[in-house]
Amino acid sequence: MKIAVLIKQVPGSDSSLPIQNDASWINEEAITYVMNESDNYALEEALQIREQNGNGEVVVISLGPDRVQKVIREGLAKGADRGIQINVDSVGAVDPLVNASLIADAIKEEKFDIVFSGLQSDDLGMGQTGIILGEMLGMSTASLVMETEISDGRIKVKRELEAGYFQWVTMDLPSSITIQSGLNTPRYPSLKGIMGAKKKEINVLTPEVGQSKQSMEKVYIPQSDKQTVMIDGSADQIVEKLVETFRNDIKVI
Amino acid sequence: MAKFQFTGIEQSILAITIIITLGSFIYEVWRRLRIVLKGRDSLPFDHFGARAWRVFKEVFLHEKVIKDRFWPGLMHALVFWGFIVFGLVTIDHFAIGFGHPLMNEQVHRYYSYIVIPFSIFVLFGIGSLTYRRFISRPKALGKISPTSGLVAFFISVLMITYLLGETDLDPMVWRINWWIHSLIILAFLFLIPRSKHLHLVLSPINIFFKPFQLPEHTAVNIDLEGSEDELDTMLSDLTQMTKNQTLDVFSCVECGRCIDVCPANRGGGLLDPKNHFILDLREPLLKKGNVDVLSEINVEAGWECTTCQACTEVCPVGNHVEKSDEIRRLEVLVEGKVPQEYQKLFMNLQESGNTEGRSDSPLAERLPTYTPDKEYVLWLGCFARYELDPNFTKSVENFANILDVAGITYGVLQKEHCSGDPANRLGDKLTYNMLREHNMELLKEATKVVTLCPHCALNLEKEYSKYSKVNYDVSHHTQVIAELIEEGRIEVKKGSNGKVTYHDPCNLSRMLDEVDAPRVAINAATDDFFELEESGRNTLCCGAGGGLWWKKETKGRTHLVRAEQVVDSSADTVVTGCNFCYGMMNQGLKPLTPEGRSEIQVKDVADIVVENMVSKTHSK
Ligand code: SF4
Ligand code: SF4
Repeated sequence: MKIAVLIKQVPGSDSSLPIQNDASWINEEAITYVMNESDNYALEEALQIREQNGNGEVVVISLGPDRVQKVIREGLAKGADRGIQINVDSVGAVDPLVNASLIADAIKEEKFDIVFSGLQSDDLGMGQTGIILGEMLGMSTASLVMETEISDGRIKVKRELEAGYFQWVTMDLPSSITIQSGLNTPRYPSLKGIMGAKKKEINVLTPEVGQSKQSMEKVYIPQSDKQTVMIDGSADQIVEKLVETFRNDIKVI
Repeated sequence: MAKFQFTGIEQSILAITIIITLGSFIYEVWRRLRIVLKGRDSLPFDHFGARAWRVFKEVFLHEKVIKDRFWPGLMHALVFWGFIVFGLVTIDHFAIGFGHPLMNEQVHRYYSYIVIPFSIFVLFGIGSLTYRRFISRPKALGKISPTSGLVAFFISVLMITYLLGETDLDPMVWRINWWIHSLIILAFLFLIPRSKHLHLVLSPINIFFKPFQLPEHTAVNIDLEGSEDELDTMLSDLTQMTKNQTLDVFSCVECGRCIDVCPANRGGGLLDPKNHFILDLREPLLKKGNVDVLSEINVEAGWECTTCQACTEVCPVGNHVEKSDEIRRLEVLVEGKVPQEYQKLFMNLQESGNTEGRSDSPLAERLPTYTPDKEYVLWLGCFARYELDPNFTKSVENFANILDVAGITYGVLQKEHCSGDPANRLGDKLTYNMLREHNMELLKEATKVVTLCPHCALNLEKEYSKYSKVNYDVSHHTQVIAELIEEGRIEVKKGSNGKVTYHDPCNLSRMLDEVDAPRVAINAATDDFFELEESGRNTLCCGAGGGLWWKKETKGRTHLVRAEQVVDSSADTVVTGCNFCYGMMNQGLKPLTPEGRSEIQVKDVADIVVENMVSKTHSK
């Protein structure tokens, strides 16, 4: 079983987010980067499948400038076999279609049985790259997966639907699957893993980046403001006014 | 005194039984000591005088045993002193058997005037201890131990046969009585090394070697550039016990005092230090005949420990009980099994150098920056820097105010990273070393460091110096404050704060051995101070130590036990000397305060001092 795990490096959730002067993106220099949370679970799922099978290969793939080597190393330290860095300047403003085709080009020869990725990135949260990639490579796809079972060349997955419902789907391999956080217990890199990771190979590819269909118009920090409205009148009038405000102005009911 | 000669056959039987039991005794003790000697590191002989003095106090005077549990302790002391007095009697007893008594009739009589009262003390002592063990049965003693019953029986019979032997018995009866006494001594000798009664032999030695510093865990040096073999050796070292730790395991007398004081256990957790950190290792050591058994420690229990060292402090036989460090570092460094919340914490520490993953600290930016011309580095620590309890910011500013008033120059390090305490205590020694190296570089030019966080204070000085030489002195802010008050450099008058008490932080009282300075400061500011029942070095942990501040859920209520005690006391104000204790008190007191009881104020020592300080300036 050959498994690819797509890992994105994203700003840490408590890091400050200074915005570039031209408001086109955040200032990447001033940020602490970490592994995208759901990608961490995707990696763990891949490692567990390999361990259960007793053989196979787990390859971590990340798209971005040299800083992303850090998350690739982290994946290798946790037990992935090798890494691929698709070296592009910044992934911040690139759209999922471009990302997916860069990855598709990089791995189509590899013939992975499974591609795991996190359900969405914690920075842009588009949630599409894994699915588009699956389409491009002619794989079956499933999103929001909370459990996986592999048998006889097929994969059975539990998907999270709305309102507490779940769906079990069985699909043919190869398959591209996006993973929901919390489906397993990710490990921590052991010392042996960290040492071993140094000897593992990271293949750096430098592709041509295609034309983006999307562009970032403006990045800004949302302004929150407080408004206080006094409602006078009898109890009935107040309730009526409240309901109207909730329904029409704040739109919460 | 012998009334007749023993026959040759009797003497031969006696000689053979003595050889067999003594031989087996020596063999069993040797078997254990051999395992002890296989342990890592060497047994310490430094501070010889202090060690010997400690043996005198704790063994011969039974100071600790009596202090902690007065009546049973005193009863135990009676039995112990009786044993010492009986030493000579016992040797003489066997010498009589061989027809060569050591004491002549007159000496024997005079000595018996001492021994007879002692034998009655011993009977009384052992009687009360038996009552306690088998009838009142406190929980800490665990399940009924048949050997304890047997030993009580042996000791009673020894005393009774001794007393009978001193009376005017018919020679035949005297002879039988003599034999019973002999056989029981030999049976006792047989039993000692096979039971917890080995503490008779080992505890004086163990108390001699007990570490002076708390906590004592070996430093873990990690060389990521080293070879694979070196790494393997280092990892396998992590499973090996030290000589001192191994000696602890065989010395334990199973009294359960360590369980009684354990905050995790008292809060309803699973952790039971007597079994998890000591007795669970005894069988594996004996079975393997080797010391690579640390992985036998219960992992879940290990994660519950607050590393407060109450267990180590209380142990009467000198054990360093706590071993959460040993099991946690195995889990982290070897197994890579780390609870998710701690993985997040470690990642934050690695990526941003602080526990919260933050990149800026408004408080640090507000305070003056350290330059080498200033006297003190004011070390903030993550708790203060990132406002883990926003109220504590005021306490830091109050301390800065005190320094300003006293005309002391200080500054913070803008690039300060976490001292590494949580990583250190949670077993991530790799991250710890990374933080330590960063901070050592920052502190290169510093000579004096002061901090409000006892965890930082302990790490910056004592823990760092396990790895490399530290060239600065670290004080806790309460020490600086107490000094300023005593020197008259700040003036504090007694104000009205209601009834004031003080919660001793574990890291300050037990690890840094500072219980006086905070009291000097508090007593300058109030005349209505009272002590909590568990105070000073016998304090009870607030529940946040050992990285538990960041733990999402605990099984028990470790975090509430101490706050509950404060609520139950008559305090109007509780003062603490640690930011974590401060935070825990703030979180715990409010929900625990019953209706009608006015809310207890939580203050840092700096707060109560500034509130009652005569001249004040505004902090910059
Ligand atoms: S260090 Fe404290 S929490 Fe840990 S076992 Fe000892 S008494 Fe219990
Ligand atoms: S470790 Fe010490 S305190 Fe705990 S049971 Fe053993 S002898 Fe008693």
